[in-house]
Amino acid sequence: MILLFGGLSLLVAAALAVISMRNNRRGNTVFATLVVAGCGLGLVPAVQVLYSGTAVSSAFGSTLPGGAWIIGIDPLSAVFLIAVFGVGAAAAVYGIGYMAFDAHTPAWPSHAIFALELVALSLVVCAQAIMPFMGAWELMAIGSLLLILTEYHHAEARRAGLIYICATHVGTLALFAMFAVLARTGSDWSFSALATGTISPSGARIAVLALALVGFGVKAGFFPLHFWLPPAHAAAPSHISALLSGVVIKVGIYGLLRVITLVGAPPAWWGWLVLGLGLSSAVLGVLWALAQHDIKRLLAYHSVENIGIILMGMGAGALGAAYGHPSLAILGYGAALLHTLNHALFKSILFLGAGAVYRMTGTRNMEELGGLARRMPLTWLAFVVGSAAIIGVPPLNGFVSEWLVFQTLFRAGFSTDALRIAVLAVPGLALVGGLALACFVKVGGVVFLGTPRTSRALTASKPPLLLDCPPLVLAAVCVFIGCLPMLVLPPMLIAGGFVAGVPVLPAEAGVMAAGVGAKQISILAGVLALTIAGLWLIAQLLRRTAPVRQAETWSCGYPLPTARMQYTGSSFAAPLLEIFGRLSSVRTHRGASVFHSEPVDLILDGAVVPWWAVIERAALRLRPLQQGRLSRYLMYVISTVVALLAYLLVRAGGR
Amino acid sequence: MRAATLVFVMLLAPLIPGIASRTRSILTARRGAPVWQLYSDLWKLSRRGSVYSRTTTVVFRLVPIVLMASVVIAASILPLDGRSAMLRFPGDVVAFAYVLALGRFVLVLGALDTGSSFEGMGASREVTFAALVEFGFFIALASLSVATRELSLSGMLGSPALADTWSSSAPALIMIVAGLFVLLLAECSRSPVDDPTTHLELTMIHEVIVLDHSGPDLAMILYANALKLSVIGALLARVAMPTMELSYAMRVGVLAVGLFAVGVGIGVVESAMARLRLPKVPLYIAGGSALSAFALILLLQ
Repeated sequence: MILLFGGLSLLVAAALAVISMRNNRRGNTVFATLVVAGCGLGLVPAVQVLYSGTAVSSAFGSTLPGGAWIIGIDPLSAVFLIAVFGVGAAAAVYGIGYMAFDAHTPAWPSHAIFALELVALSLVVCAQAIMPFMGAWELMAIGSLLLILTEYHHAEARRAGLIYICATHVGTLALFAMFAVLARTGSDWSFSALATGTISPSGARIAVLALALVGFGVKAGFFPLHFWLPPAHAAAPSHISALLSGVVIKVGIYGLLRVITLVGAPPAWWGWLVLGLGLSSAVLGVLWALAQHDIKRLLAYHSVENIGIILMGMGAGALGAAYGHPSLAILGYGAALLHTLNHALFKSILFLGAGAVYRMTGTRNMEELGGLARRMPLTWLAFVVGSAAIIGVPPLNGFVSEWLVFQTLFRAGFSTDALRIAVLAVPGLALVGGLALACFVKVGGVVFLGTPRTSRALTASKPPLLLDCPPLVLAAVCVFIGCLPMLVLPPMLIAGGFVAGVPVLPAEAGVMAAGVGAKQISILAGVLALTIAGLWLIAQLLRRTAPVRQAETWSCGYPLPTARMQYTGSSFAAPLLEIFGRLSSVRTHRGASVFHSEPVDLILDGAVVPWWAVIERAALRLRPLQQGRLSRYLMYVISTVVALLAYLLVRAGGR
Repeated sequence: MRAATLVFVMLLAPLIPGIASRTRSILTARRGAPVWQLYSDLWKLSRRGSVYSRTTTVVFRLVPIVLMASVVIAASILPLDGRSAMLRFPGDVVAFAYVLALGRFVLVLGALDTGSSFEGMGASREVTFAALVEFGFFIALASLSVATRELSLSGMLGSPALADTWSSSAPALIMIVAGLFVLLLAECSRSPVDDPTTHLELTMIHEVIVLDHSGPDLAMILYANALKLSVIGALLARVAMPTMELSYAMRVGVLAVGLFAVGVGIGVVESAMARLRLPKVPLYIAGGSALSAFALILLLQ
């Protein structure tokens, strides 16, 4: 615990340093060093807990209601701490390079808030009692808002911030209600006390699980609560999008898993609901991503998709627990946790890469880009590794976790009870994989390959190393996990066992990981690499025996091909979007010489905004209540006091 | 023995498209190309020089290599000899499909690497239909997994459980075989989804993706496609004819017969049907998926 608190103090120190030294070079260097040191220090206890499976905690006395404030690391917290510190360090270093491009926005406030947001995030996942949890939760929410508003002079950022703050308030409201139901029986509000106390009647349990889905669902951003996510991720600077997408939304997943540890194995309906939400979120998320042209909005919709995949693992795990298959529960939760970590890694790579593209070209519109692979080779390398990982092809980390989710669903199909119906989710997940492939071929191909479509892309130059190195480091981690899952999967199973309430010893976790085939994934990766290397040699030999010429791209005899003749993102995605019809929520414009499509969000534009107008009209009627007149406010205060006194009198009289 | 079977299939692979085209020429009363045409094409192309577009990057040169590697690895996950694959582990069915997806990913990226509008068009169609095929393919895999209670291809296709399923619920397996054949035609770019003999770029899917490849690169791509056809054909043959109990020679013989039948089947379809209009293709794939879906429901009840 000392190391964790040391790490957190270094992060606070980093914030203070950058505030006091403002924008000079030295300030940035000190900031980066302190953040990396703090994150590195914080990672140590997280990894220790995760591999040993033993939790640590320390309690601080408190005079507030709810008993002591307990801060601790258990296997579940540890997984998310690793995401916080891993992504946090990479994104903070990148952020220095990224913000240096913007002369109009002072960078130091966003750097300071970034470091403090990392502290808030770690406290959320380490808080072991209601009071510190809610405190850290609100700090995190406000921190995220401030980070989204970094470029507040853009109307887009202000709108995204407004939508976000409304959404997060609704979520917090649900969480207050949930904890009120959970804590109503005792005076000790620590998680360990809540977990041992049984909640009865079952109505209370249902309420807690449903409220958790709303409260944490808004944060996690699964369908249909995802509507705040694309505008926020697109409007924030890229390193902040990486943190939002890689870590902040994962805290919603953390919350759901934490609630499972508090109320015990959820009933079957909850598992089916989560599996269904996950499947719809995954399919719709990737479909809507396919329709986007703004590269960062596209990545944001992919977060909706991946949260869906995580929920599918979680739902399968919950079903395994509900139907009495503990090994399935451990595997499902473990798969969900591994995908959480993996998504944090590859989504950060993609957002950081997209940010480098934005800085070097000045646009996020894919239709204006093209041919960047030659101009930004290192960015492209990191981006293509991230793309392959998010599609889930071997030998990368995304494959390992998707393969585990698949395996959980396949194994569910072997059962003889109603659980076997869960196997029907298998083709859905496969469709998601196929659509994700289409989507990332579109991004990679349209942005990085072919010929530049505009002068913005033509004049792009190589980004500074500060923008290229952090994503490359994360890409190396993706390859590492993809090639050696035996080193990473056992701790996830330990954490999965922790959620399922079935303690898994490190030795057992190793046996389980080997049992599901983690070792053979390494063999697969090795054989794949060797085959590619061997074939490369053969191809080089063959290419050498005969002359190799350079020429123009073959355009079927047409002599003057131009960059405008290339397939655009709109046209690339059109056939798939047409198949899904209205569901793909895209407006297409066709003309003799024009084809372009514009995406709309079915939930935000179709439901939230219209309903918002209704609420606004209702709120206008209430306006006379609050006019800024002091006399009227004093009257409110006095009448409240009188009402309370009357209540006291009535109660006293009743006795 | 398992490696020997893989080598056998790799040597046999270029013959299957030849059988398909020979069948077609017999059925349409034409003289046609000899069955070993693809062998001589590959030999000729591998000695030719190559032309690379100035637009392309290293991605384009990686296409033939990664594509071929992905198909070879997929082949080594499949129990070609009817008992066990070279690589087997729980959930290797997922690896089978996703390794092939890796090859496709690089193939279509290579198409966009050229900056050609035709190749962009082919890439778009390829990923569209592949996503739908993936959906149907996993329904078939889920059905097989439910029927045999196995997680790996070797377990599903090389265990007595498959023979038992044939005796207990043959209708479901017949639907799976039919569904897989429908998907095979789509996945391997054969009629009625794609027409390998067309000369009009606008109507092509697979051919137009590789428009800019030449020489040894093209040879490797053509070979990888032939091998992919054999690999998926072998999967089909193994589902249709469980051979767990037979001797090695018999099992390989059954595989050869199965691949021959797949070649003939493709030829028959190609001479009987024209290519579908592109908007109809999703319906066709949905039909193939529905066959497997019925099987899955039968097996789950």
